Amino acid sequence: MIRSRLFVIVPLVVALSAVLGPWASGQAPAADRSKAPVEERLNRVRADLFSATPRFADDVAALKDVLAENPKSVEAHVLLGLAYRGLGTQEMLAEAIAELRQAIEIDPGVAPARFYLAHIYLDMGRAARAKEELEAALEKAPGNPQFMASLGETERQLKNTRKAVELLRQALQADPSLLEGHYYLGLALFDLGQTTDAMKELEQVVSANAGRPEAYLALGTVYNQASRFDDAVKVLSQGTKLDPARADLRIQLARAYRSKGLLERAEAELMRAQPKADASLAASYVEHQQLEFDLHLELGLVKMKRGQLAAAADALKKALAADPAHGLANNYIAQVYLRQGQFKLASEHAGRAAKAGAPLSENDRKSIDAGLAAKKSGVRE
Amino acid sequence: MTPLTRLAATACVLSPVLLSAQARGNKPTPPLFVDVTAKAGITFVHKSGASADKFMVETFGSGLAWIDYDNDGFPDLYFVNGAPGAPNALYHNNKDGTFADVTERAGVAAIGNGKDAQAVKANKTGVTVGDYDNDGYLDLYVTAFGPNILFHNNGDGTFSDVTAKAGVAGRPNEWSTSTGFFDYDRDGRLDLYVVNYLDYRLDENPYCGLKKDGYRMYCHPTQFDGMADRLFHNNGNGTFTDVSKQAGIANPAGKGLGVTFCDYDRDGDPDIYIANDTVRNFLYRNNGDGTFTDVAYAAVVGFDSNGKPQAGMGVDCADIDGNGYPDIFVTNFSEELNALYQNRGDGTFEDVSATVGMGAAFLPLGFGTKLYDFDNDGDLDIHITNGHVIDNVKLYQTNLTYAQKDLLFENVGGKFRDATAAGGPALQAERVGRGLAVADFDNDGNLDVAISSLGQRAVLLRNQGARSGNWITIRAKGKKSNTFGLGATVKIQTSEGLQVRELNNASSYLSANDVHLHAGLGTARTIQQIEITWPSGARQVLKDVPANQILLVEEPSEKP
Repeated sequence: MIRSRLFVIVPLVVALSAVLGPWASGQAPAADRSKAPVEERLNRVRADLFSATPRFADDVAALKDVLAENPKSVEAHVLLGLAYRGLGTQEMLAEAIAELRQAIEIDPGVAPARFYLAHIYLDMGRAARAKEELEAALEKAPGNPQFMASLGETERQLKNTRKAVELLRQALQADPSLLEGHYYLGLALFDLGQTTDAMKELEQVVSANAGRPEAYLALGTVYNQASRFDDAVKVLSQGTKLDPARADLRIQLARAYRSKGLLERAEAELMRAQPKADASLAASYVEHQQLEFDLHLELGLVKMKRGQLAAAADALKKALAADPAHGLANNYIAQVYLRQGQFKLASEHAGRAAKAGAPLSENDRKSIDAGLAAKKSGVRE
Repeated sequence: MTPLTRLAATACVLSPVLLSAQARGNKPTPPLFVDVTAKAGITFVHKSGASADKFMVETFGSGLAWIDYDNDGFPDLYFVNGAPGAPNALYHNNKDGTFADVTERAGVAAIGNGKDAQAVKANKTGVTVGDYDNDGYLDLYVTAFGPNILFHNNGDGTFSDVTAKAGVAGRPNEWSTSTGFFDYDRDGRLDLYVVNYLDYRLDENPYCGLKKDGYRMYCHPTQFDGMADRLFHNNGNGTFTDVSKQAGIANPAGKGLGVTFCDYDRDGDPDIYIANDTVRNFLYRNNGDGTFTDVAYAAVVGFDSNGKPQAGMGVDCADIDGNGYPDIFVTNFSEELNALYQNRGDGTFEDVSATVGMGAAFLPLGFGTKLYDFDNDGDLDIHITNGHVIDNVKLYQTNLTYAQKDLLFENVGGKFRDATAAGGPALQAERVGRGLAVADFDNDGNLDVAISSLGQRAVLLRNQGARSGNWITIRAKGKKSNTFGLGATVKIQTSEGLQVRELNNASSYLSANDVHLHAGLGTARTIQQIEITWPSGARQVLKDVPANQILLVEEPSEKP
């Protein structure tokens, strides 16, 4: 399953403001409306947050000022949650959730807060909580295509893929131009193995030039899966230009290069794809750990293909350090050890690979057994 | 009045002459504190219930409380245990430096009565002390990840579990932490504030940390939602009403671990400060009409000076800089400064954490804390007990340890000097510190400290009075106000200046301090004036009060 990313926040807000006019124009308590300066400041912040180049830190400061005057301003809490989310740091994530939850506590009908909260939950892998919020948002705004699309993605993450496709098609029927709908539908179709249809959806998103690296990553991944490596290289390269710091794009690009036999280029991409560890010990590690794993697995494969077996073993060991039971990683390192003549190690990892559902080929297993037997009979490995 | 014999004033201890002698090594300075746990007969060992599943609740520890449950004038000591089925313990103060375990007789083990499965399974966490029914005896309230328990003091050395009747259990799945009694509506009856932490379920326990043998770690609170606190209004008939929503304190964004009460704006009613973990802290201003407004943004006490939320754990509130307004101190995560918010007296605070000399607290992870005058020199010092939450933290950060030393900061004109070394070996011991509470258990005029550590023996640190100045302890007896005068404001005027203090035993982390007010007086042998403003509004003035005594003060019947 491709991990989706927050795809829609800023572009969507404009649409939401239109859809949910009463909120955007101020369902906040009376104190909010009676103070023109506060209203003006909120308008300025809203305009900035929804602009192409939001200044999140300034917006946070402005919103704190508003909340100092009116701690119960629903809109200020929602916008502050968005601004914190926009800062993009792990340490402010909890605060973003806190602000949005506080807004909902003050006004349970504030559907945008639930929508944004759901997206944070989705990013955190908490799909069940996202579903609760989106269903509550849809009660407030029935048929809203954005909410339906997000609910579709939520169902996909909950492994209810057919329901996801159904919801996403409904959302796109209501609004065929909804890019996030096409994006999520592409992911869902890919999960269902409908690669060609998935490609079509994701190609629509990329060709719309929405500037979202997630779409490039997803399409590149699908191209790789479909062995369309030239297309994968093209689209993933475009993605890395949009966000040069994204390690996952470069790892996927390396995969495409490796598949094309361009091993030096693959390795070069991997060298650039150093996932940044969160400075906070308290961070969940999940995403970072997954990227580290992906990086070392791909590097191991590149090194294998280059015949650099010691380096391959080293990289694959690092991958296995993050996930010792991973089937493919055990499979690959078993192959490396087999080629190195380290039959005992190869056998151990082959066993783990088989246990995890990624057994070595019959030939490789026979070779390992033969090597072990020879060693037992005194023949030097 | 109960005058006690007392050491002669020793304020000269800090004189340059003596300091110089110490520097030359002529005479070793006795340590400030001595670990008297074993001598006192305290054998309590906390059980955390730590498991390979790394349930978060296993690592947050439990608290303790000082409670003179039999009104014999000597504070007794109550420890909360963590793991389900592990008994809490009540130690009676024998008045000779030793304690006796009276848990069984008192009936406060809090291990459930076998009928309530939820109570039996509960991980117990915090505790507070107060006389909620104004019968003259201090009661106990114990919080838990599970149903909380109210123990009514029967006045005969035993307690009764009256939780069901009182209606203060909370929901069975609530993870309650710190708690405190206070009279927010000043009706003479103590109400109850219960801090809640996370919306956490044992059957939803994600794997956190690296997937390597031994690397599983306790999860970060970001992975769970917060949970709204509860405020129980005392109905005056042994029952309480949950008024959390109408009072305005039911904010589900909170991930609260610490609570304290003080009248930060000096408008005569108690306000509430909540230390939240990884989200901003709350300051609930008492509106005086039964409701509160969270003014953390306006007062600038929600974040650090960079605008980031911190991992608040323990908290206390008292006037550190002597301007008459209570400041707020919060212990935080490792690699975060503990926060000291200095009250400007205009409704706002200034975060002075980085400039007051507490840099030594940057690496340790602070939990229990108390602002108290350990050397009786007339200003409030800071004691912090530390310990990480991640038992295998060393695997992730080699510069951090699970068990850590306490920190003792001496107040020197509003700045702080690390006095831990002077604390002696008792403060050098590393522990996984959690709860901390203060009382003068031997009535010698020096505040002593008890600490509860995660999965370890508790410690009782006796303050030897090595640097002690003069002092006064005020035991308040309310009439119209609650019986122990919690919430009273006390102004103490001596030749050395004015101290403004409040009677509040709810602070630190999961813990409760002695309900009596202790103040160091420095060189002053006589207090020129003590002015007490009772929660009822009654004002009382005492003149020319001799120092070094335990002073029993009864609330006057009528307002002057």
